[in-house]
Amino acid sequence: MLLSSSVYFFFLIGIFFLFWPLSRWRAAGLGVLLFANYFFYAKWDLFYLGLIPIASSIDFTIGFWLGRVQGAGWRKLLVFLSIILNLGILAVFKYAGFFLEIAGQPGGRWEWTFPLGISFYCFQALTYTIDIYRRDAKPTASYLAHLTAVSFFPTTLAGPITRVADLVKQLEKPGRELLAADGSKGLFLIGMGLTKKLLVADYLAENLVNRVFDFPGLYSGGEVLTGVYAYALQLYYDFSGYTDIAIGSAALLGLKLPINFNQPYSAANINDFWRRWHISLSNWLRDYLFFSLPGKRNAVMPYLNLVLTMALGGLWHGASWNFVIWGLLHGAGQAVSRFWQTRRGKTEPWTPTWWRTFVTVQFVCFCWIYFRAASLEQANLIVERIASNSWSVENVSGGLWTVFALAIAGHYAPKAWLEKPRDLFVRVPFYAQAVVLLLLAIAIQYIAATGAAPFIYTKF
Amino acid sequence: MPIPKKASLTLIALAAMMTAPDYIPVVNDYRLMDWTMVPRVLDFQVRIRSEDPVGDEQIRLRPDTTPEKAETPKLVDEKGDLQRFYAALHATERRDEGAVTRILHYGDSPTTADLITADVRALFQKEFGDAGHGFILLAKPWAWYGHRGVTVKGTGWMIEPANTAELRDGQYGLGAVSFRGGTGASSKISVKDGGHTKIEVAWLSQPDGGTFMVAADGQTVGTIDTASPVVTPSFQTFTVPDGYREVAIGQVKGRVRLYGIRLMKDTPGVEYSSMGVNGAAITILARNVGEEHWGEQLRHVKPDLVVINYGTNESVYARYVDTAFELELVRAVKRVRKAVPEAAILIMSPMDRGQRMPTGEIGTVPPLSRLVTLEQRVAAEHGCAFFNTFEAMGGPGTMGRWYLTEPRMVGADLIHPMPAGARIVGNLLYRSLQDGYRRYKLALAKEKFGAPGV
Repeated sequence: MLLSSSVYFFFLIGIFFLFWPLSRWRAAGLGVLLFANYFFYAKWDLFYLGLIPIASSIDFTIGFWLGRVQGAGWRKLLVFLSIILNLGILAVFKYAGFFLEIAGQPGGRWEWTFPLGISFYCFQALTYTIDIYRRDAKPTASYLAHLTAVSFFPTTLAGPITRVADLVKQLEKPGRELLAADGSKGLFLIGMGLTKKLLVADYLAENLVNRVFDFPGLYSGGEVLTGVYAYALQLYYDFSGYTDIAIGSAALLGLKLPINFNQPYSAANINDFWRRWHISLSNWLRDYLFFSLPGKRNAVMPYLNLVLTMALGGLWHGASWNFVIWGLLHGAGQAVSRFWQTRRGKTEPWTPTWWRTFVTVQFVCFCWIYFRAASLEQANLIVERIASNSWSVENVSGGLWTVFALAIAGHYAPKAWLEKPRDLFVRVPFYAQAVVLLLLAIAIQYIAATGAAPFIYTKF
Repeated sequence: MPIPKKASLTLIALAAMMTAPDYIPVVNDYRLMDWTMVPRVLDFQVRIRSEDPVGDEQIRLRPDTTPEKAETPKLVDEKGDLQRFYAALHATERRDEGAVTRILHYGDSPTTADLITADVRALFQKEFGDAGHGFILLAKPWAWYGHRGVTVKGTGWMIEPANTAELRDGQYGLGAVSFRGGTGASSKISVKDGGHTKIEVAWLSQPDGGTFMVAADGQTVGTIDTASPVVTPSFQTFTVPDGYREVAIGQVKGRVRLYGIRLMKDTPGVEYSSMGVNGAAITILARNVGEEHWGEQLRHVKPDLVVINYGTNESVYARYVDTAFELELVRAVKRVRKAVPEAAILIMSPMDRGQRMPTGEIGTVPPLSRLVTLEQRVAAEHGCAFFNTFEAMGGPGTMGRWYLTEPRMVGADLIHPMPAGARIVGNLLYRSLQDGYRRYKLALAKEKFGAPGV
């Protein structure tokens, strides 16, 4: 059940009208949300109905004991068990095939078990036990709240990775209500997400990106380069569109999820990029991986740790060397950037911001080649084509250039420009809101090139 | 706790407005909501992920269905044109001395990428023996060019494909691509497998022709002077030590004009050359290549089967399909027949070509089925065999289905097959030819031993 499909919206509206009348009774409200979560998982595969409750219950029990025992050794053992459990789930269901291939064994048969969104579940689940271990959060006494938070359906497929403790806090809050403004913002975000996904991301994908990445040899260097830039935009609009729908869905149920994007291609360096791109993942990697690595006071280790963190972050996206290389490139980029910033101290950079942003975008787009290509060989072929000094763009249609330009403008537009229509939407009466959403539905029906293509990040 | 009033009213109003076209006759055609999707919320499908989607598609297409019983025959050979090819194949199967079955497969972009042909080649060579990679262009005219098991690198050549070259003299060699070079022009062609014992080089002899050299694994095997009082295609075969891995060709003096090399083995087997040109239409064989020049190249190779596999690029031009395509195809067929009357000709239809319909679904470009019908008619009228790739792979809408499989079997352009899709098409062609060959052998046996008694 994709978040952009009509089936999802029937489901969401059903849950909305079931949840609010019952939400006056806390347990009943949580029960509806938990039912929605497991229903959502079951729509993907009934297999989850066994895996998720068992894994969540074990984490809840570990959290409970982490709150009770004081001995450092016991606490370490407990958190270690939780890490083993969640990384074990990832290793078995996501990476077994990859590791078997490395070991020279046929790993293809393991692919069937690859469960959708399991990477997001595991990372989200780990925040609960690690936060309690670090005493950054307290264990919840509500088993129901924990089960609901850890498997919250809008975040299941592609985040944003939300700290379970934060969600639990919201779920345990008594007297929850949905303010008219919050509900309107939720609807606006859902509309915005659908626009980004169906009218921009899918259009770019269908009309250029997929073609260029499928058969780079058929296109000129100029077309391949345009395809790479278009992919950078497609990925942003696809993933941020998903996030908008997820945040909007949560808002309709009275819950707040963290933001995940902040004009990432405006970053002035690669560290800045990661403060703007997939923010919940980079925060997770920073808080739960980078800070856990040894050698913080060493002169060299923090740089190596950055590379290692990003390489593992790359591997988290998928079991392939392409993702490892993508992560290594970003790690190396961050290490160099950090080193340079440390050397420079507080002196202002001598290059203008627009230039640093331009260079950062070029680097990020180069790395996207490895992220998107089906194989290393194909990634290298794409680089080769770009370097071939053939600049015809006759395969790029006028419509595509238009969407491309609109996508760039949409990304770089001042935030206030987007806030104004949102605030206007919030202010208008319900029937005007319905008309706006109806017009969007018409646009999607008659302009969108495809049906519901999967969101890119649901693969990770 | 109250039900959120505004959000609820917005949702109800939206649902009402989206439902309106179902009840108001004037806007009945503008339905926005498919209410039949509602029950799908409760549809819990057990996800069975295929371990072998390509295998599943093969089974679905039932390539082994008895051809006589098939609703739409994939391979039609009413005049028995393929008998000559089968006879050559039979000699190869018997391992007769020097019995090499040569196939020249002319086509467009999938062929130049060796997408389908590589699979057919592999299947033939596995069954009947490997007589070499066949004809290889001297350098990559486009990044898309390829030949499985062979790496081609060339620098310094002025590359002129017959369909786009400004030089319209028709002298484009067997592969319809000419390579002109002066100082610094050179090529390296590497093979992964061993066993090739002969290299044949093709060039154009001409009054002001220069000199080039040929080397195998770094050892010069010959130097050729291309100067000649008359303009004529020329060939020379070099015997080289078994097991060489790299052929180098380089200009030595003056300007030379070359076409490519043939990699051959000394054993009986099948030599399957893929002769694709990017963006090519049937016009390339009907007009762009010079009749005499190309004919001479064909006569030199002595193919047992010439596959003519065009139509994809033409299929979006309805007017061209309806007015000119048939005439061009007939012209190409006549040229082949005149040059090598002893060779069988197989007209192979294009694959399905998808396009997005206004509904968002992927359909087939409308003129394609008409084009396939024309090809079948030309084949019947001119005594050629016909392979209906379009129907064999599943007919209209196949690319739409292939695009939605996991992994995808066709690229996002809905034209070019991914390797998995190409393997399916290659398999379909090979198995159809195999069926025909079996029937040929059965007929031979009947002729020799008489019909089995009852």
